[in-house]
Amino acid sequence: MRFILSRLLSGVAVIFVVSFITFIILMMIPGDPALLSLGTEATPENVEALRDAMGFNEPWYVQFLEWFTSFISGDLGRSYLYGEEISTLILQRVPVTVSVALLSLLIATPIALFIGVIAALYQNKLPDVLARTLMQIGDAMPSFWLALLLLVYVAAGSSLFPISGFTPISEGFIDSILSILLPSFVLSLGLMGTMIRIVRSSMLIALKEDYMLLAKMNGISKFKTIVKYPLRSAIIAPLTIIGMQMAGLLSGVILVENIFSLPGLGRLLLVAVQQRDLFLLQGIVVVIVSTVVIINMITDILYRLANPTMRIGGRDE
Amino acid sequence: MNKKNVLFIIGIILLLIPVVLGLTSFFYTPHPPNTMNVANRMQYPSMEHLLGTDQFGRDILSRIMVSSRYALFIGITSVFFGSIMGVMLGALGAISKGILRGLIMRMIDGLMAFPGVLLAMMFVAALGEGIWNTILAISIFMVPVFARLSYSLVLEQQDKLYIKAAKTYGVKPLRMIYKHYLPAITPRIVTQFSASIGGAILTESSLSFLGLGVQPPNASWGLMLNEAQQYMLTFPYLTVPSGVILMMTVLGFNLVGDQLNDLLVRRKGRN
Repeated sequence: MRFILSRLLSGVAVIFVVSFITFIILMMIPGDPALLSLGTEATPENVEALRDAMGFNEPWYVQFLEWFTSFISGDLGRSYLYGEEISTLILQRVPVTVSVALLSLLIATPIALFIGVIAALYQNKLPDVLARTLMQIGDAMPSFWLALLLLVYVAAGSSLFPISGFTPISEGFIDSILSILLPSFVLSLGLMGTMIRIVRSSMLIALKEDYMLLAKMNGISKFKTIVKYPLRSAIIAPLTIIGMQMAGLLSGVILVENIFSLPGLGRLLLVAVQQRDLFLLQGIVVVIVSTVVIINMITDILYRLANPTMRIGGRDE
Repeated sequence: MNKKNVLFIIGIILLLIPVVLGLTSFFYTPHPPNTMNVANRMQYPSMEHLLGTDQFGRDILSRIMVSSRYALFIGITSVFFGSIMGVMLGALGAISKGILRGLIMRMIDGLMAFPGVLLAMMFVAALGEGIWNTILAISIFMVPVFARLSYSLVLEQQDKLYIKAAKTYGVKPLRMIYKHYLPAITPRIVTQFSASIGGAILTESSLSFLGLGVQPPNASWGLMLNEAQQYMLTFPYLTVPSGVILMMTVLGFNLVGDQLNDLLVRRKGRN
């Protein structure tokens, strides 16, 4: 219980730090947001009035605290580019981003489990060498390049996959999955490298445990023993690193959404950067990073709960 | 042992390709990399143009050669700056106590939670596109990895006798880092350095691909792929050459980093 509480507190602290870092970086943007949102024909009095209303005449730390408290209550302000509430804009796009990220996890995890287990069982033999080659390629493959290749050589050649755009689930489950299958596949390859590595190594450690020898002495078949013991630890292994992989996964989503023209957060983010919509950018960044922090926190806590040995004497630093 | 050597040599060869191409490009390219020749546009490889020509009739090989310079320069410089900042921050966190340590560690956690591309995009939005801003963005992205590493390495050293001895002599904290901790942790930092360059090059090309990194008329593999995207249906071949060299380079740096890690770190751990 104490662990959960301290983990929650440090999670909140990290979100605060993240908002602060974002705020400071975006403060460096040249130009006057009030002038930007009113256009060049605004009178100086109007600009000054809006600056006042937007709180830009306050000292920076007051601005930050005001922004942070309204962020906590779910109010991210208004986008000058779209003229809409930023929280609405973000909520509209979350389903796309979440589906792509989820589907890529669903693709990557079983494949990584399978390859990792096989690689460990045949250590240093052909399947292992092939698995390690795949890991290296997964790590080195630029996701946006793979996405381009798939677009050119798979999507363009077949009528199965749309070249761009997203079909919501309400317009048919299969069509919806097909519209995000290629982007998710691209991301899953990036995830697989690390996942295979961790499955393989946890399996290798488990295979060397004493209980393997004991089971062998008792005449239990190797297959039975493996299914009963090492396989279990191998299955939990990817779960422990999903939190850590979140940041990398979302980096990939940002890129891939832009290539496949999926109307998700990544696409909105690029528009916000290109058009220098400060508040929108700030809102998306803090939402994305907070998600990463929260998922990290949850997997940490779950892992601690699932694994009693971790509870004993676990110092945080 | 032999297999390890093979991987190491493959890695070296892979990363020597862009090095040689980039260095050569300073005094020789088969064609001027920015000269357009519309009559010759979108050609497949030939004796005249070994890797073909792009949408403006520019020689692809020459452009890849020039791009190698930027990829290597941005990759290495940003890891260099990132490692210096990260190592100092991590070491400072390890030797400090109480609130300062908490502050430093939360800052590192915060930076770690940023998806790399996101952090870089924010910097570009704030500072504008360009090579130096790209370097700054990627180096900040590299800080937490090095900070965590040096934090744990310095903590590990703190219990050693020579550190305790130095402390009893009243050595000042910064001198302590510089004179005692740094030499002890350098091998690990070096392996992390070489392993990070691949990732830095990937981030640079991703940014350039989004149009936020290296700007035209300069050339970058990511930028070339961005331009190729517009013509991918009429001339798909354009997406191939710059992607292949990008992947080979990253693979090369990763392989060398892995093998160095095995050589310097694991072997030491066994003794």
